[in-house]
Amino acid sequence: MKGRILFSGAALSAAAAAAFGAALLSTGCGDMEQSCRERRITVLNPAISSKVVERVPLAPRLDTVQGKTLYMVDLQWGGPEAAYSVFEEMQGWFSRNMPSVRTELRRSVGGPFGDDPALRKEILSRKADGVIIGIGG
Amino acid sequence: MSAVGRFARNLELEGGVPTVGASGVNVVKFKDYDLQYSNGMPIRYVAFPFPVAGQPRSVHRGYVEGEDLLSGKPMMQAIIDALTEPLTEEEQMEGMPGEAPPEPRLLGPDTEENLMRLFKDREWTDYNPIVLPTETRVAAMLGGTSRGPEEVVSRMGSRELTVEKAAVYAVMAGAKPDYFPAILAILTQAPSFGNSTSSMANMIVVNGPARRELGMNSGTDALGPFSEANAVLGRTFTIAGKILGDLRLDVGAYSTLGSNLQYNNLCFAENEEALPEGWEPLSVETGYARTDSVVSVGIGWSLISSVGEAQIRHPPHMLIRDYMRALYGSAATVIMDPTVAGLLKDVHGFGTKAELGRWLSGNVEVAAGTFWGNGVNTTASTPMALQGLEPFATWLKAPPETLVKPFTNPGAVKVVVAGGGIQTTWFVTDFRFGRGIRIDDWK
Repeated sequence: MKGRILFSGAALSAAAAAAFGAALLSTGCGDMEQSCRERRITVLNPAISSKVVERVPLAPRLDTVQGKTLYMVDLQWGGPEAAYSVFEEMQGWFSRNMPSVRTELRRSVGGPFGDDPALRKEILSRKADGVIIGIGG
Repeated sequence: MSAVGRFARNLELEGGVPTVGASGVNVVKFKDYDLQYSNGMPIRYVAFPFPVAGQPRSVHRGYVEGEDLLSGKPMMQAIIDALTEPLTEEEQMEGMPGEAPPEPRLLGPDTEENLMRLFKDREWTDYNPIVLPTETRVAAMLGGTSRGPEEVVSRMGSRELTVEKAAVYAVMAGAKPDYFPAILAILTQAPSFGNSTSSMANMIVVNGPARRELGMNSGTDALGPFSEANAVLGRTFTIAGKILGDLRLDVGAYSTLGSNLQYNNLCFAENEEALPEGWEPLSVETGYARTDSVVSVGIGWSLISSVGEAQIRHPPHMLIRDYMRALYGSAATVIMDPTVAGLLKDVHGFGTKAELGRWLSGNVEVAAGTFWGNGVNTTASTPMALQGLEPFATWLKAPPETLVKPFTNPGAVKVVVAGGGIQTTWFVTDFRFGRGIRIDDWK
């Protein structure tokens, strides 16, 4: 047992139960007379305060994607086939509409819950200009 | 932090690479919450229609040629804009933002009716009647432990569940101070259900002397609404989990179906007195002594009943095996009446729970196509398969009709005995248990 022990277990239980019973009796209104319904009480707040986290800025954006290399990273959410063809369709769109954009499509081998250090290294070392990553679901 | 947000944050932060996160519209709506309390970086997203998985290529083409559901722009234009539009002032912000004022310790004074309404409006309850946590009641509940009110029982991110908050939730759920140490042990596992798009639930099993001390039901109707302690312990976990996890509907709670099991979390005690010789309680199998009072909190989704009496020509272990084929795999917990345990021990020779777990692990088979047809398996196990890890690499290459054994770890197949010896009934479930928590540590 950790912490302070002020009473024996049995005495503690008996004292707590008696106090709790008295507490229930002291605030119950039952079918409630008017005066009871209008009685005002104070209670403890169940809410837990959230502490916001430190803000981190985004990286500066590109002036254009024309002539740039964009990596597309499939996190395999839902499996290797779940979203891959969405990225292939994006590649097709760039080929047809912005042919100067180079695209590289990769699956992240760690999936959505793991990591892919080799892919991250590749993206950073080859100086990808931008990344499209997903598709979360 | 969402998976997409985590990856995008790393690339932006480590390499200064502009990144756009793509997610289904079902989860993108939670991005502001992620920003404030978890990620800290205002990731730029585009939102695809949901679902993406399981759709044919023609639908995917339509998604790409359609609109971003976040901005309303054509999808590809939205992606290009996310990579090129200059950063706003907010997107360049760094350091600690202004804090919202902390929650006051006390609420009121107000009428009980108004406070009850407030508790429902703030989504602090399960919408069944609660007991309002007055200072007197909470103080009495705190008398059930020697722990200090400011001690932390569990955390979620920066949110801390203290002993005093736990006492508040215990009062709300209708608990007695005697229950409080067990409640504190259970709440070390909060929050659990709810913070997933899948519809998870929990199972709480109590072992040891506390079962009798608290008046828990492990016999007839152990899983039904027939025991104050079973009901209240399970309910407290729900109330605490909702508040600690900030599981407000469509804010932090986004399980697509939810689960009715979340009202009570399948809270019951194991019928240790009726265990066959050689069969140890769940807590003992995870390393505790029989004299320890222990709560174990499992997590899973599914519950399938055998419905009727055991049959001699297709005995319980064989039907359990058959029904386990409907589970996604990986982990299972079988809840069985003592009469079933007796049959399995005395007639079919399973000398221990572990022997039965090993037999089930080695004999439950499903088609590889069925295994990979489950989205949890595909999402979690495909990355391992693609990295060459066995058996998943072989299973991924196998023809879909090939039989595989999805319960690869016999130790993850658990057995819990409960019930009144009235019918030879059992449930198979996919709940996964780790090691339990000693109740006496919270006295």
